[in-house]
Amino acid sequence: MTVPSQRGSGDLDGFIVAIARDADRQAFAALFRHFAPRLKAYLVKTGLPANAAEELAQETMLTVWRKASYFDPGRAGAATWIFTIARNLRIDLMRRERHRSVLGAEADEEPVDETSGETMLMTAEREARVRDALSALSEEQAAIVRLSFFQEKPHSAIAQELGIPLGTAKSRVRLALARLRVLLEDLK
Amino acid sequence: MTARAHPSEETLLRFAAGTLPAGPRLVVAAHLEGCVRCRATVRAFEAVGGALIEAQDGLPLAPDAFARVVARIDGDAGGEPRRATRARAPAPAGLPQGFALPAALSGCRIGALRPIAPGVRMGRVGVPGDPKANVMLLRIEAGRSIPDHTHAGLEFTQVLHGAYHDHRGRYGAGDLVEVDGEVDHAPLVDADSTCICLVAVEGALRFRGLLGVLLRPFV
Repeated sequence: MTVPSQRGSGDLDGFIVAIARDADRQAFAALFRHFAPRLKAYLVKTGLPANAAEELAQETMLTVWRKASYFDPGRAGAATWIFTIARNLRIDLMRRERHRSVLGAEADEEPVDETSGETMLMTAEREARVRDALSALSEEQAAIVRLSFFQEKPHSAIAQELGIPLGTAKSRVRLALARLRVLLEDLK
Repeated sequence: MTARAHPSEETLLRFAAGTLPAGPRLVVAAHLEGCVRCRATVRAFEAVGGALIEAQDGLPLAPDAFARVVARIDGDAGGEPRRATRARAPAPAGLPQGFALPAALSGCRIGALRPIAPGVRMGRVGVPGDPKANVMLLRIEAGRSIPDHTHAGLEFTQVLHGAYHDHRGRYGAGDLVEVDGEVDHAPLVDADSTCICLVAVEGALRFRGLLGVLLRPFV
């Protein structure tokens, strides 16, 4: 799997910091241009209709603006933080809840684990390693990771996409994710 | 308290991706409260989500999308958005003294613990926004067993208090036991303490024999 090296990921982090510090609308516009179309594409892949994906992509960017002060660049990069916001909003949408749920809110409020050693590793370096880990997977394993991420019923989607029986799909998912976890092990 | 049994990688990935159904998600969240290792794995999988978003091509938004978001920002009139806060779930009667329910259960309505078998009581956990979620709080007396059962999908059991064992091992507080549908098991609680578990099943739970018929209204 080829993952393009992230251009200016530090810039993206900086944009969120600028929104939190200065309510910087130019930074927000740049962030919107970069992420809103990607968010819409992600949400469509999870099975949302295009209009709902559009709404939720906008809602995610609005939340980025409102919650920018919770962003901690030492903890997660811009793409990861914004992904968790979109994910939580999507969960809320699926639950048809009027308020954000406690589970949905945890991403920006859970305590930092001092014991994980994670805080010692620079975020940019960590995210580069995640990209390396994804690049180190075979095409098939990368497809399995992508489908596992985006699909509600990944086993049947994987079986269909790869043209393999359901039972085989289950064991390949186990293998692919075990490999990914080993590749990510250094991150923890 | 260091857990020895953990959710599978696939379950943690589904949690990070937001595709785990509400019931199992709740039980995994209860596990994460006490498990640094699984929290780190979820964090790493979230970074995978960030990388996947970053790497993919975008879809164009409506021409007025940015203007609409900016209009909503202008309408905010400063101040933080109202944050929904949830009180801790009122604990049902019959739990051990000093026992605290996981924070993940905040906002859930927990039914009274009713007897379902000798020494076994069960309360249904209502998951907000997902009335069909099959989540239960189980209290099993020392030395008693959970009725013999099978299930159609995965079963997630977070041990909150006490310990039990089955043919595969022994599990204590903090452990999350993930069992797939093919397993037919009858867990037995340790002799010295009551066991409290939070359980979610994907798919229907099937008890065997007459008990299964009697329990049908409950599960």
